[in-house]
Amino acid sequence: MAGAFGFKGCQKIRGPQIRGLLEAKDFFLFDCDGVIWHGENAISGAATVVNSLIRHGKNVVFVTNNCTRPRENYVHKFSRLGFTDVMLEQIFSSSYCSALYLRDVVKVRGQVFVMGCEALRGELLEAGIPCVEEADDPDATIYNCSLAPDVKAVLVGHDDKLTFLKLAKASCYLRDPECLFLATDNDPWHPLSGGRILPGSGSLTAALEVASGRKATVIGKPSRFMFECISSQFRGVDPAQCLMVGDRLETDMLFGSNCGLDTMLTLTGVSQMEEAQEYRNSDLTTNHSFVPDYVVDTIADFLPAFEELEEQTD
Amino acid sequence: MSGTKCTRLNGALVKQVLDSVDSVLFDCDGVIWRGDQSIPGAPQVINLLKEHGKKVFFVTNNSSKTRKMYADKMTSLGFGVREEEVFGTAYCCAMYLKTVCKLEGKVYLLGSNAMEQELEAVGIQQTGVGPDHVFGKQNDWASVPLDPEVKAVVVGFDEHFSYMKLNRAMQYLIQRDCLFVGTNRDTRLPLEGGKAVPGTGCLLQAVETAAQRQAQTVGKPNHFMFDCVASQFGVNPDRCLMVGDRLDTDILLGSNCGLKTLLTLTGVSTVAEAEAHWESGCSERKGMVPDYYVESIADLLPALQG
Repeated sequence: MAGAFGFKGCQKIRGPQIRGLLEAKDFFLFDCDGVIWHGENAISGAATVVNSLIRHGKNVVFVTNNCTRPRENYVHKFSRLGFTDVMLEQIFSSSYCSALYLRDVVKVRGQVFVMGCEALRGELLEAGIPCVEEADDPDATIYNCSLAPDVKAVLVGHDDKLTFLKLAKASCYLRDPECLFLATDNDPWHPLSGGRILPGSGSLTAALEVASGRKATVIGKPSRFMFECISSQFRGVDPAQCLMVGDRLETDMLFGSNCGLDTMLTLTGVSQMEEAQEYRNSDLTTNHSFVPDYVVDTIADFLPAFEELEEQTD
Repeated sequence: MSGTKCTRLNGALVKQVLDSVDSVLFDCDGVIWRGDQSIPGAPQVINLLKEHGKKVFFVTNNSSKTRKMYADKMTSLGFGVREEEVFGTAYCCAMYLKTVCKLEGKVYLLGSNAMEQELEAVGIQQTGVGPDHVFGKQNDWASVPLDPEVKAVVVGFDEHFSYMKLNRAMQYLIQRDCLFVGTNRDTRLPLEGGKAVPGTGCLLQAVETAAQRQAQTVGKPNHFMFDCVASQFGVNPDRCLMVGDRLDTDILLGSNCGLKTLLTLTGVSTVAEAEAHWESGCSERKGMVPDYYVESIADLLPALQG
């Protein structure tokens, strides 16, 4: 999708250009980690930006691959960090969308084997999807453990309680070609505050892909499914009216590109300007999908545009 | 290589092939035994080959035993084998770190007690073996203390694999000068009764994905294991036969090192798969086509007993 410059600009914009964007778009999709907050710290000015967008009548949703919190938990976090008026309906996590996928797309009949944290199981259970109970005694091995009957899907997410036995059980379930293989997201690692990182769902999914010889269906960004969830809950969303704001080229920008949305990279998170430029200069046309239309140093760069809008309406 | 490939080895051809080699390399799982049971006739084959003056070696990607443990298992199953004739990846990995990497420092090990023992035997200390679960919160995991003496991460078969171990391995590997070695990439250990055990390849893929780095692997089809055998025993590749059950490890190793190759059908791969590789016309896949195949290595007995 061409930006204001007629091509994937990858150009930093400020002031009047941002104001133009704010006027042209009415649907803003934000990633969370590295875009509006770092861990427990809101990015300076981010709360004002989000609150102002909502006050100006724009639709704002949050699209995150982070599957470790229930959505209610996110609502509390938003409130705690000064983002007033953010409601449950605006939050789309990969765990919530995985539950929707199983319930509404697959219409799964049978149990799901979940390799993920409590929050992920919680979203499935809330959607009425039965999950296999983990009740292995400490000495159980794959040679003597029991396998649950009627497992119709294996779902991999961020699993800090991962064990070799779980990996083995999952690969046994996946021997049945009728059993689905789903992953909340493919992120190989994810950032914490302070520049540190942790292994992501992508690393666990990769292990299981090798064990099973099968490829997982990925629910989260950059797959289109989360946008389809958003679109069905907001009764039709015109991609041309949307702006996807994120910090990770391989997830957020590609997601935007896959869904036909304009994209904006903010430099407060994972990806650097140099990486975006490398993709832009690449001979491989598939790499161009990683290139953002616009770039800002921080979403706080939106603030002057709001001030001007305020002045105009006064 | 002659123009013919994937020929059934029987009748007079068996003696012809055996006479053309001085050394025979055998894979273990699926070739001479399955689990704890020897393939019928296998001990006699090995013992007769030695009586006929052939050098016999064992080359296995399975890193869960030391060479001594393998020799003990073989003796108990009736194979007349010495420890020095066994080349498992636990031993070869330790040799690789010592002689090729010339590692000075410790290893963070995702692997078995056997790997720990083989490392110790060449004077390399390790940390990390055994169970290791998460504690505390995410921030704690990301700031796990790193031993400054660790200079390499080594991944082998680890039944205690966990998120915490994956995390520690990744944290060490963020340091660019930390070496990264894996024993092998086998995806699965075949088991009877419809269960399958994920292989080292899965664990290695998890660590490689998290760390966004590729490991150097020591095991088949990499030629290092053959180099170990050859350097210790003076093996001539032109007069050497590799016997295995996996096209993508055993046969490919044989091709990579210029050996004659024999596929046995008591394990993982099939003749149909070999033919598919041949028909593909793809040069990378040609190396996975064996020169010969047998139903079981017991098919060699008539020529050896005659």
